[in-house]
Amino acid sequence: MTSRREQFVDASAELTGFPRVQLFGTGMSDKYLQALDEILSVEVVDEFLALCTRAADTSGNAGVSGIVQHASWGPIARNIIILWYCGTWTALPDAWRAVHGTAPTDLDHVVSAEAYQMGLQWVAAGAHPAGARQQGFGAWAISPAETVS
Amino acid sequence: MTGEAEHDVVVVGAGVAGSLVAKQLTRAGFRVLVIEAGPATAWTFDGYLSHLQTFYTATGKGPESAWPPAAAAPQPDTRDLRAGDGYFVQDGPLKYGSTYTRLQGGSTLHWLGVSLRMLPEDFELRSRYGVGRDWPLDYPSLEPYYRAAEREIGVAADVADQSHLGVEFAAGYDYPMQRIPPSYSDTVLAAAVDGMQVTSGADRVTLKVRSYPAARNSIPRGDYHPVGAVDERPKGQRLARDLGQRCAGNTSCTPICPIQAKYNAGKTLAQADGTKLQVIAQAVASKINVDAVTGEVTGVEYQRYDDPSSPRHTVHLARGRAYVLAAHAIENTKLMLSSGLAGASGTLGRNLMDHPSIYGWGLAKAPVGAYRGPLSTSGIDDLRGGAFRAQHAAFRVDIGNDGWRATTGAPDTAVADAVLTQGLFGADLRAHLTATLPRHVRFSLNVEQLPSMTNRVSIDPRQVDKLGNPRPVINYDIDEYTLAGMAAAKSFYQGVFRRAGIDDRTDQEHAAWFPTVTYQGDMFRYHGMGHFAGTHVMGDDASLSVVDTDQRCWEHRNLFLVGSGSFPTMGTSNPTLTMAALALRTADRLTAELSG
Repeated sequence: MTSRREQFVDASAELTGFPRVQLFGTGMSDKYLQALDEILSVEVVDEFLALCTRAADTSGNAGVSGIVQHASWGPIARNIIILWYCGTWTALPDAWRAVHGTAPTDLDHVVSAEAYQMGLQWVAAGAHPAGARQQGFGAWAISPAETVS
Repeated sequence: MTGEAEHDVVVVGAGVAGSLVAKQLTRAGFRVLVIEAGPATAWTFDGYLSHLQTFYTATGKGPESAWPPAAAAPQPDTRDLRAGDGYFVQDGPLKYGSTYTRLQGGSTLHWLGVSLRMLPEDFELRSRYGVGRDWPLDYPSLEPYYRAAEREIGVAADVADQSHLGVEFAAGYDYPMQRIPPSYSDTVLAAAVDGMQVTSGADRVTLKVRSYPAARNSIPRGDYHPVGAVDERPKGQRLARDLGQRCAGNTSCTPICPIQAKYNAGKTLAQADGTKLQVIAQAVASKINVDAVTGEVTGVEYQRYDDPSSPRHTVHLARGRAYVLAAHAIENTKLMLSSGLAGASGTLGRNLMDHPSIYGWGLAKAPVGAYRGPLSTSGIDDLRGGAFRAQHAAFRVDIGNDGWRATTGAPDTAVADAVLTQGLFGADLRAHLTATLPRHVRFSLNVEQLPSMTNRVSIDPRQVDKLGNPRPVINYDIDEYTLAGMAAAKSFYQGVFRRAGIDDRTDQEHAAWFPTVTYQGDMFRYHGMGHFAGTHVMGDDASLSVVDTDQRCWEHRNLFLVGSGSFPTMGTSNPTLTMAALALRTADRLTAELSG
């Protein structure tokens, strides 16, 4: 049986466009899953992950698209994307909260210093997190074509 | 009041000016007491790293995000600007957009590090162009102190790049470190822009993308030894001082250089003669006592607090032979006013200046490697000087290496826009961001502002902080001269973008919030540069100025007000280097006088 963590990373790979190995490599998957559990509850997260697994199994990218655009699951899916890219949780929209309720932890916040530094946005930019993982003296003079893989 | 102390010199404020004075005077053998309003957390290596963690976890990563203030020493914050409910009482008509930090190390903890000399013509604006005020000093008389300041704060640049617009260097001189390598995006832009001609007034000006001097550690020249991280430990070990002897491209000069390769004032204070220096942090100067007959200062009262989260404090008196206020252009003035020392010239607090600046941002044709390297390594300086200054303000262009971070909050906002607005996810999202983020280009166009008697800081007894000290009341406007410069700056960047094939994406409505001003039907969003100046203006006529050329207060002869508050005008230079040069000059004068 697929572990919960693997389910989460499988779903995250579809959502972010980054391969599983790169997501595992951030070391953030457990932290993010824990954050989701705290904000949304374990039950809701389990339901979301099961939905993602079924969607990917049955209809691939179209299935994931349906989740991203779904009235209830879409805001969660989009928040998970931003979580991976920026390391931040974004408070869910008021319309979503009106239906599903609010959690005290559902506030705009940086999940942790590590989450900030592991944001995929820096990888997409061919850069490094501002204030961390310095590239070294003069690296900024090098053409990005030589540094973006 | 308790704890009377005797020193040769009492310095208020452990920022760049106060630290330079303290270093020079202790090394000359004088006993110096420095009282600093804020905590000394950046003084230890672990403390500095705790500020780095604060930055990492801050939701907004603005200039102040790494440096939260103590309850007893509040400070302005750009986040408060929109609501207007911050430390400053913004009394209009426009909002003053700049901030500073009240911690040991001052605003050098989060400055960009640009260390331009002022142009020779900047000292003679009235004589040459009929605007502003002349300085009572000229460039040649300050030049030796510029050299000294460049060594003290550690400036990286090549004289070959900087010898233009009349700026001359002593024969054989070069900066203590080689220039910071220009970024790839600088190189791309230079290839497109160098040689471009623009019209300014009656003049045709040929543009050149030029590396600018920065107080960031680079490859040293001669016997210069780059100064690394501040690491003061109780038993005298300095384990981390080798860190930061080269800039490593953290892309975070503002708000915090993680390795302290960029200068901060703690480095200077750490070089003072420790046997002669006493620093009392968490000590807010609250009143200057003067002798009613001679006008001489007899002591500075300060409020010492133990808990930075609480306004609880005790009151003490610091005494010396001479007193140096180096607390900031605003704080120096506030302290003088609240001590009843407004003076007879009527100029204290007036002539408040900044560099009200605009952004232009766009998308380059091909990746330029945005979000890498020191926040800015080059600029376009060609419109800093010239005959057009009789008509409108000069401006200087900073070319960013940090993409649209300052303007829109990217890359975070670019991700949010792609996901929440455009509905992108998966491979499409990644491809979109990979295709756009490395092409982000940003210019900051920093516009000169002239002194005006109605732009001012004052105090109001009804507006006080938690310790009962007055909050600064700011009256601020931007006049036609500067607005015309802003309009010229806007046309300028649009022309440069066209020439370089940069797609102009400047969209003020969907950007970070900044105050607005309208000129000839065009709305400008302007941001402050943190360049406060003019509030205790220097002059050679006591009836028209607060301090003399030595930054000595005309009416209190053992009191010196140092810093950019002394500047009659600011030109387009970031003020720190000139402030440092003036502080060194004052330290020389004080040394001679106290030795006599």
